[in-house]
Amino acid sequence: MKSHRELHNFNSGIKLESGEVLSTFDLMVDTYGELNSDKSNAILVCHAFSGSHHAAGKLDNDAKSGWWDELIGPDKAIDTNKFFVVSPNNLGGCFGSTGPISICPENNEVYGKNFPNITVLDWVNSQEMLLSKLGISSWACVLGGSLGGMQALQWTITFPGKVKRAAVIAAAAKASSQNIALNEVGRESIRHDTNFYGGDYLKNDTFPKDGLKTARMLAHITYLSEDNMNKRFGRKIQDIESRVDELVDYEVENYLQYKGNKFSEAFDANTYILMTRAMDGFDPAKDFNNELQEALKNVTAKLLIIGFKSDWLFPPERGKEMQIAAMQSGINSSYLELDGQQGHDSFLFTNERYKKNLEAFLGS
Amino acid sequence: MNNPITDIVKNWIQPSSNIIDFGCGDGSLLKELRDQKQTVGYGIEIDPIGIALCLDKNISVIEKNIDDGIDEFSDCNFDVAIMASSIQCLKEPNIALGKILNLSNKCIVTIPNLGYWRCRLALMLGRMPVTPSLPSSWYGTENIHLCTIKDFEDLCDAEGFIIEDSIHLNKERKQSKIAAIAPNLLSSEGVYLLARK
Repeated sequence: MKSHRELHNFNSGIKLESGEVLSTFDLMVDTYGELNSDKSNAILVCHAFSGSHHAAGKLDNDAKSGWWDELIGPDKAIDTNKFFVVSPNNLGGCFGSTGPISICPENNEVYGKNFPNITVLDWVNSQEMLLSKLGISSWACVLGGSLGGMQALQWTITFPGKVKRAAVIAAAAKASSQNIALNEVGRESIRHDTNFYGGDYLKNDTFPKDGLKTARMLAHITYLSEDNMNKRFGRKIQDIESRVDELVDYEVENYLQYKGNKFSEAFDANTYILMTRAMDGFDPAKDFNNELQEALKNVTAKLLIIGFKSDWLFPPERGKEMQIAAMQSGINSSYLELDGQQGHDSFLFTNERYKKNLEAFLGS
Repeated sequence: MNNPITDIVKNWIQPSSNIIDFGCGDGSLLKELRDQKQTVGYGIEIDPIGIALCLDKNISVIEKNIDDGIDEFSDCNFDVAIMASSIQCLKEPNIALGKILNLSNKCIVTIPNLGYWRCRLALMLGRMPVTPSLPSSWYGTENIHLCTIKDFEDLCDAEGFIIEDSIHLNKERKQSKIAAIAPNLLSSEGVYLLARK
């Protein structure tokens, strides 16, 4: 698989939905596969909360494979023998694209808490700038899971002429009250870490590691299903030698401690808050009298909406609602309910049906 | 797939109609209607193989068990709903038909005829009928609400559904003039175009 990683600079800047302006910004972008001669095989992959540009394979010094490696690659569901896959780290992220840990060019200080609010629409606008920088007129498909699926949906609404297909996976047309509530507990835990300094921790040479860890532990539970956790951990006691913390009894506790620690060492707390806010605020129907079918009226892309039976964060019903709104607007749209056992995280793992249906959709 | 009702449905459907096909199988009918009548169609299907074949054909398909109800479509508006070979499998077919005619101006429905003489003969000989329209054994069938042509037409009358057109099929599930003479006795299956009064 031909892979390439590049930092793209956009010195024309971007006006954000909030009205604020970033005078210049960078996007860290991975590409997999090759662009064909008529530039008709480009696919945009949008990442979720904690994802990055690194969606597949291993490049440079990557220690492990990308977050969607099960689906992207030669002969995989998103076949890099056929498609040119473009995967940016989102604006506001912490893996190379301009975000709260970047230096603000106006005052040469780290942005920190001063980094502006970012919305799903801002991401889509910045990705559209990337599309034109790459010299491509339209995406063969935009797809993503969770918050990535929200970007795919926004793409079809904002740039109907520039996206031919969109796969909206394990997502919703808006965050539910429960989604917002869970995100708020995460944010609260970060804000109450004494090292948070109102978001200016980097200027104080510290980091709200504990708060971020707790936020991630809670969020991680919401990505799994009860069944899956029972099967994986049950009530098994963690053996004493491999306990990450002496307070741990059960395997599931140890697992969450481990995951929380790892995440809090690699992720930025302000980015975490920014990403959760972007998700909470996503609601394309809000400008259309809360009628999603009105928001979708000008969509020309074909939609494939996929829900997973064991997902309780964005349950299949949310996907169904999207498809029905699309159907009311006469949009070519399909809805699948897959069996994935891993809860919300099911979208990350391939299986025969998932692969076959995505292939059929991308090839149609 | 050779669906015997394809030609009948094609004749009944106006070009550019907006269609929903409950139990669309592999999407062949919707594809033919799209290719020949420029219809916009959505299929409802529960079988994963059928669903994948629909996506292959670029047919919009919704994974769903119709038995779970169709209330979620109540705000939708279609010109024609197609309900071929499944109405007798539903829990409350009379209510389902009413709901379908709420979201669609017309409904095309097929109904296997238990009054068909071969069925009557089988019962007279003490056996459950097995015919091309009722192909399964008694323990394997999904049909839970079998009726005769007369029963069905009575239901339409009672519920206020107008029968705008009807065609009756023979043993081979083909349109038949003989079957039309005395459908309740001579037809294996009826195909109906229904509308609300």
